[in-house]
Amino acid sequence: MTVATAPSPPPVTSPPARGPSRRGRAARRLLPLAPALVLLALFLAGPVLWSVYIAFTNETLTGSASVNAQFVGLANFVKLFGDPNFLNSFLLTFVFVIGSAVIGQNTLGLIIALLQRGRARVTRSVVNGVVIAAWVMPEVVAAACWFSFLAEDGTLNTVLGISQEWLYTAPMVAVILANIWRGTAFSMLVYSAALSEVPTDLVEAAAVDGAGPARRLLHITLPLIRRSIMANLMLITLQTLASFGLIYALTGGGPGTASQTTPLYMYEQAFRYFEIGYGSAIALVMLLIGALFSLVYLRLIKVEDA
Amino acid sequence: MIRRLAGSVLLLAAVAGCGADPARESSGGKELEVLYRVEPTWPHLEKMLTAAKKQYESTHPGVTVKLTAVQGHSEVYYTKLALLNRSPDSAPDIYYHDTFQVNADVAAGKLAPLDDYLATWPDWSTQFPDSVKQAARGGDGKTYGIPISTDTRGLWYQKDVFARAGLPVPWEPKTWDDVLTAARTIKQKLPDVIPFSMYSTKAHGEATTMQGFEMLLYGTPGGTLYDDTQQKWVAGGKNFTDALAFVNAIYREELGPRQADAHNLKLYDKTVFEWFPAAKLGISLDGAWASSAWKPTGSKPWPEWKDKIGWAAMPTQNGQEPGAVSMSGGWVIAMSAYAKDKKEAFDFITVATSKESSMTYSVGTGDLSPRKDVAADPAYSADNPSIKFFTDLAAVTHYRPAFEAYPKVSAQIQEAMEAVTTGARTPEEAMAAYVKALPAAVGGADKVLSR
Repeated sequence: MTVATAPSPPPVTSPPARGPSRRGRAARRLLPLAPALVLLALFLAGPVLWSVYIAFTNETLTGSASVNAQFVGLANFVKLFGDPNFLNSFLLTFVFVIGSAVIGQNTLGLIIALLQRGRARVTRSVVNGVVIAAWVMPEVVAAACWFSFLAEDGTLNTVLGISQEWLYTAPMVAVILANIWRGTAFSMLVYSAALSEVPTDLVEAAAVDGAGPARRLLHITLPLIRRSIMANLMLITLQTLASFGLIYALTGGGPGTASQTTPLYMYEQAFRYFEIGYGSAIALVMLLIGALFSLVYLRLIKVEDA
Repeated sequence: MIRRLAGSVLLLAAVAGCGADPARESSGGKELEVLYRVEPTWPHLEKMLTAAKKQYESTHPGVTVKLTAVQGHSEVYYTKLALLNRSPDSAPDIYYHDTFQVNADVAAGKLAPLDDYLATWPDWSTQFPDSVKQAARGGDGKTYGIPISTDTRGLWYQKDVFARAGLPVPWEPKTWDDVLTAARTIKQKLPDVIPFSMYSTKAHGEATTMQGFEMLLYGTPGGTLYDDTQQKWVAGGKNFTDALAFVNAIYREELGPRQADAHNLKLYDKTVFEWFPAAKLGISLDGAWASSAWKPTGSKPWPEWKDKIGWAAMPTQNGQEPGAVSMSGGWVIAMSAYAKDKKEAFDFITVATSKESSMTYSVGTGDLSPRKDVAADPAYSADNPSIKFFTDLAAVTHYRPAFEAYPKVSAQIQEAMEAVTTGARTPEEAMAAYVKALPAAVGGADKVLSR
């Protein structure tokens, strides 16, 4: 995952400027950042701009269009929105994000964090260790674990004593479960930190007033950590939206296109069928969708603050 | 995802950056980078190239050969090669290349024509038959690679399964119906055995197009993807639907592997390493190379295979002339247009396609050797009784219309094959979708011949 998409801290409100000396100081402060900025511009902004450009061309990886690409305007985007495979992948991406991130990781992370409050240190470190182990694991290793768990002669079938090709019959369930398993640690850590900030006297006061555990959770704890919830939702949504390695290694998008989320469809178009221009157009649309999601979340946080 | 793209650009830049140059500067010598493909179950090319490197370096002091491997199956290799070829800095000097990709690279100017060098190499005129030379020729008539392998395709069958199902051995099907009838008989008599296996999903890429679809299409009366006289791509038609209908019959009647296996990247390994030796499979539509795994030096030695496995030509649809059908492709060793030391590079290619190298490669992979002297050598066919049969299929074989647009057409065929395999589309619907997608794939409706 990338941190670049994280919400930037609110800008420090500077006191009214007092002439060139202040500006000079700002410049001196920025100077040490210059090499990093130049490198970022060169190696991040450069390729990003390049892929924005080729999204409007018929560039391919091989053949004559690879050396002599033509500007085709919006043709790639027109093709995209009439492409049933893209619409299918978009729907699957939506299911994947809602199922594995918004519902799965988010809820499970919160539950684990809640259950851990006030537990013995040993319990906490064991649970934390187990959950974080899945997070630390590289995507491909996690996919290999789940593959051997779900494969026809895998652990699950052996334990249940049945023969079922899960990755074929229920590929979306398989990738969603695998992603929940792998990503829950992040939400858990965010919520553990947020819950530790909830003042205990407030919760105790509510308990004295006769509020049960459910009421205390709904009316005290959750409202107090709502900003963390929004920030967490935004981060895991963006991260899941771009998730590629786990699905690619687990099902390869298959069978057929049954688990081909948009990143996998984009990969297939760009690097399997060499339509890099079309693939970049898909990437651009993905980027816009991600930006849309973050805008919605940011707006929600703002509304809360108002 | 854009970041991912940026990442791959960065990675390529890094690979290129730490590539050839330091070695070149420090030793003052020349370096040739050779790109090839390797898999744990397919070490044959690596073995041959390592020997060729040793031989070449001993006779060419001052030139080092750097072997760069790509781990994975062919589809991975095509992608890796295309990406490396994006920039002269990262492009390998010499590479192993599938003949159907050659014209796309010729169109992009990425391959160096070899004609001038070939004129100085006597083997080219004495040892390579014309049919093989054709495979590496670009649209401009120049030659862009030296063939290292060629192949034909046909039906492999398990004799024990046939005997238990009461089918005749040797088996000589005359029509598609004969093939389907045999498969149905196996299904009925031996429910535990997979009657028929073929490649029919996108996972298998070009194998699905060539071993699967084209073996059927070119067996229909007048069936072809490309009309040579009008120089246009044929838009579907009855031949196309009939070919898909065969695939449809295999999967709808459950004569094929289970869907999960049909989509499994390791289907080849399963048929050859597991199902055939365990008598779990009746018939497989596959390439001439399938038996190589069972040799003592293969990945799955199986000494009894010569008694247990039979082979037959794929019949034409209704048994019409010439009675059988086969498809031929192959791989060449090609030289990059960006190679700095072209003469040295060509010399290495001749070492890698010499009689000795070609022998090592063909005996290992089970591919047919393009060289006459190898084919005539008793050591070549000594341990493999199927070689002669598959070599003789050259009489009925077809070549792919390997034009620049072919890979895109192939992608559309894979789409149609998979839709019929899963049952998502009927053969008619899949054909209609192909016809709709064809003009965009071949670059305009004027290049399409409607049927």
